Amino acid sequence: MFRNALHYAIANIRSNRQVCLASIGSIAVALSFPGLFLFIFVNLNSFLSNWNREVQLMVYLKDDITQQQQVDIEALLQQSPNAEMVTFISREDAWTDFQTLFADKSGLLEELDFNPLPASFRVHFKEGPDRVDTIRGAADSTKGVPGIESIDYGEQWIASFETFLIFLKIFLVALGGILAMGVLLIISNTIKLSVYSRREEIELMLLIGANPRFIKTPFFLEGIFHGTVGAIISIGLLKLLHLYFQFNFEGTFGSMTQGIEFQFIGIFYIAMIIGASMLVGWLGSSLSVNQFLKSYQK
Amino acid sequence: MIQLYNVYKAYQSSHPVLIDISMVIREGAFVFITGPSGAGKSTLLKILFRWEKFDRGQVLVNRMNIGKIPEDRLYLLRRKIGVVFQDYKLLPNKTIFENVAFALEIMGADRKAIRYQTWEALKNVGLTHKKDAYPLQLSGGEQQRTAIARALVNRPKILLADEPTGNLDPDIASEILSLFEAANKAGTTIVLATHSQDLLRQSDHPIVTLNQGRILETQFTG
Ligand SMILES: Nc1ncnc2c1ncn2[C@@H]1O[C@H](COP(=O)(O)OP(=O)(O)OP(=O)(O)O)[C@@H](O)[C@H]1O
Ligand SMILES: [Mg+2]
Repeated sequence: MFRNALHYAIANIRSNRQVCLASIGSIAVALSFPGLFLFIFVNLNSFLSNWNREVQLMVYLKDDITQQQQVDIEALLQQSPNAEMVTFISREDAWTDFQTLFADKSGLLEELDFNPLPASFRVHFKEGPDRVDTIRGAADSTKGVPGIESIDYGEQWIASFETFLIFLKIFLVALGGILAMGVLLIISNTIKLSVYSRREEIELMLLIGANPRFIKTPFFLEGIFHGTVGAIISIGLLKLLHLYFQFNFEGTFGSMTQGIEFQFIGIFYIAMIIGASMLVGWLGSSLSVNQFLKSYQK
Repeated sequence: MIQLYNVYKAYQSSHPVLIDISMVIREGAFVFITGPSGAGKSTLLKILFRWEKFDRGQVLVNRMNIGKIPEDRLYLLRRKIGVVFQDYKLLPNKTIFENVAFALEIMGADRKAIRYQTWEALKNVGLTHKKDAYPLQLSGGEQQRTAIARALVNRPKILLADEPTGNLDPDIASEILSLFEAANKAGTTIVLATHSQDLLRQSDHPIVTLNQGRILETQFTG
């Protein structure tokens, strides 16, 4: 029975080759949009988590801090959960670091005859999924302690980046939903054409006692085929884009992206795109076939 | 085999086509349905394999109360009934052999059985030499033979034929009739609708005459 259905489905696809190609092409293009944004999302996410890995808490101290205050702050920082290492950086150390970093622009620095940098504690945190939250918590609990000038862990930057990613995620879901509807329409229309091109045969099958399931299955297979091939092509296009990025841009952004590679959307997302597209293919074809068969129910 | 009790049928909002039709057709019988155009002959046949619904009454076919069969199980009824359509309904892009085999394929029969039974059915209607031709390459009579072979290929208990000689000249028509006679001898119950007086005169089977949706008379000849 299944072999028969497969045989019919292949015959359908062969005899409607033009329509089939047009359908698969449109599906591939339609699915490339959410694919593209998914690609962007995945990479921004990986930038963020790479960046998170390097985040550390900087606690800048007032110039007139007392010895006791400094000891208290260090103890407090050492007690914060997940803190791995607390390093003291004196004003002099900071100044030396700064000078080495900007050695080639030393002409500018020689003008300065005093040290403008504060002393600070640098706190390293252990790796973990909630690393940024842990750091945020540590920062909050140190806020307002006497002797502290300011606290910095790039929170503004991270917070706005995270918000942006949340928006991107919502956008992605919405776009995926809209385009899934589009693919549904494409497939149900293609299958409708396919059904109509065989309407005499279908009517005869009903007349002489074919099981409706036997009639429907080839069209389901056809719809699923369109969805699957369309999805695979769109993922192929995405992979080409990924390769293009890898060859042309990887490692050329200098220090900002050092050690960062362009990620391809993971196997989970690939499976999801193909799976969703198969589902939509089945749904689209069953809409058309059922509607057509219903017209024969008296 | 077939029993109708007070069957009433009207197409959407139009005047009734069948009014309180009752009849009993025994297993192995051969019954003609006749009457003027529009009398309801085709409608009656369509009701018997539930292609059309009826509004009132009871219809039993092969011990099934066909008014009560759910839509998704109708195909089981239709498998028990062979139908010869007035317009043949052969698929133009399939050969004669494939057209006949089609009736078995849709039931999921296995290849060997399909090949054997199709050959037998074509042999019974004398068409084995045309098995690789396409329907449009055949004469009307040959197309009708193909249609009969397809209706009989899965050995149904009941054969319904609507105007099977409508477009054929008299000689060919009596050849076709003899095919039905042979099937009937083999045990198939046959209901044949026609308004051809020629055909009716050639046989000695009961004739039910419909007129304006009612049974006008039932003749038992021979
Ligand atoms: N699908 C339909 N919808 C509406 N009316 C129909 C339909 N089929 C048939 N009719 C009407 O029902 C009446 C009976 O039609 P039917 O085809 O049963 O007659 P018939 O006896 O077979 O006639 P003929 O000898 O011309 O084939 C006719 O008046 C016809 O117009
Ligand atoms: Mg008729």
